[in-house]
Amino acid sequence: MTRIQKEKLFSGTLAFLTLFACSILAFILFAVFSRGLSALSWEFISSEATDFGSKGGILYQIFGTLLLMFASISICLPIALGTALYQTEYLKSSVWKKAFKIFMASLNGMPTIVLGLAGYLFFGKFLGIGVSWLTGALILAAMILPTAHAAILEAIETLPEHYQETSISLGLKPNQRILAVVIPHSVYGIVTGALLGLARAGGETAAIMFTATAFSGVSIPQSITEPVATLQTHILVLAQEATNPTALANAWGAASVLLGIVFFLILGAKAVRSRLSWEPEQ
Amino acid sequence: MSRFAEFDFFQWATFVMALLSMTLGAGIVAYLFWEGGPFIWNQGSQFLLGLDWFPGEEYGAAPMIFGSTAVTILALVFSTPLALASAIYTSEFLDPRRRLTVKGIMEILAGVPGIVYGLLGVSLLSVWVRDVFNLIDGYTLLSASFLLAIMILPTIMTLSEDAIHSTPSEHRQAASGLGLSKMEVLFSVALPHATPGIAGAILLAIGRAMGETIAVMLVIGGLDRIPEPWFDVFSSGQSIASKLGREAAETLGFGEHWSALMALALILFFLVMFLTAFGNWLIKGFRK
Repeated sequence: MTRIQKEKLFSGTLAFLTLFACSILAFILFAVFSRGLSALSWEFISSEATDFGSKGGILYQIFGTLLLMFASISICLPIALGTALYQTEYLKSSVWKKAFKIFMASLNGMPTIVLGLAGYLFFGKFLGIGVSWLTGALILAAMILPTAHAAILEAIETLPEHYQETSISLGLKPNQRILAVVIPHSVYGIVTGALLGLARAGGETAAIMFTATAFSGVSIPQSITEPVATLQTHILVLAQEATNPTALANAWGAASVLLGIVFFLILGAKAVRSRLSWEPEQ
Repeated sequence: MSRFAEFDFFQWATFVMALLSMTLGAGIVAYLFWEGGPFIWNQGSQFLLGLDWFPGEEYGAAPMIFGSTAVTILALVFSTPLALASAIYTSEFLDPRRRLTVKGIMEILAGVPGIVYGLLGVSLLSVWVRDVFNLIDGYTLLSASFLLAIMILPTIMTLSEDAIHSTPSEHRQAASGLGLSKMEVLFSVALPHATPGIAGAILLAIGRAMGETIAVMLVIGGLDRIPEPWFDVFSSGQSIASKLGREAAETLGFGEHWSALMALALILFFLVMFLTAFGNWLIKGFRK
């Protein structure tokens, strides 16, 4: 075999494997949506679950998932932004900078089930909020903190240096610099971080299954100490009833909605980020 | 001087936020140590090597440690060749636009929620595994590792691709100037250069696989037992994370059973942290 032939064989094999890897996504999409779309109807997403979820719709599950997502990002975003700003604008000591990296990494590496259990003990038990959507939102906020923080930090750190130099030479104080330069120019990073955080929070199950959710008999929570129903835990319970066809059909329907929400957010984050990289360098 | 001594609201506000996130990270780690540490210390090898887990009587973690290790290794065996092949092809043979498309697909694949994998695992994969291998049921270590293989594919692929792609173009040019073909440039220049980054990517993926709970829990079978013989991947098992997912609800915060679970969580945390830290170090060290 000549070198050229060898090369062709090699690249052909790789091309095939790459195509295979990419087709996994297509397969997942097809597997979920082909089964889920038949269950999906306006009635399905606008009515409540009955018969322990095997009949009826997923209205409150959608509500619960969205509530947890938006509550957690509202808690997380100020903390992520504040931490990133403190790290880049105020913190001088390189030892502490390193310490921040290590703590963020340990939060990021924490298995979500562990985070959920430890979070429940602290928020639910110690602070007395119990099994409730607020506990879940706090746990999810801790879980997505590293994601949002990393995206924001990257946006701030990749600001062109002359922006900072110009603002310093104009005599701006750090707080003025943050308001006039850093935040306006890293706003895409903040949005990207928020969207990725939302997507992660929406896709998470293990951290909330004991801490924030109840399976049946839950509607819109009346106070912060009540649990919610979520799409994730709904699918979890229905998946274990694999012998009941209507329950399974509802599980696929709920999975389609969840997948739709998460993909919408990820694609949004991608669009925002590519908008960021198009920004002309001056 | 006085100008800089003024009260800076942002300094304080951001400091408080930074302190919050530090306390959060440190607090959870401290809690795990406080709750699980003494248990491991007191029970020692009885816990780490024990084969039986009967809440209230004895707690042996060996089946779970075995299960986590086994499914992770198998997942790597399935996933790594595919991930590396597509990383190489994407980095070396695709034009920039297609390259971004493939990476975008991987990014989306990485976003598929664990519970969706779990549902696919329960209602499709475990049935296929059962039928193809003629088993009584499809909830096996093998099914769990198939699911994990797909879940870690994007991690390995994306990070290795970054590593291969970041080979300095002077090195590539020098090599192709010597008359090497694309494939030869790849094997003699790009891959050696990217090896630490690829190793780092694999370690991060191991960390992800070990921590994955929900999908594994649904298909692994939930049997606290090391299979006989130990390489029988067609039998049910249990991973550390799936054990936590199954049992934590029974005992939220109480007694010895909880301490034992937290001890498991501590082991898991250490494994994942070590792998992640080492992986990150490899990836960063090589970028410099």
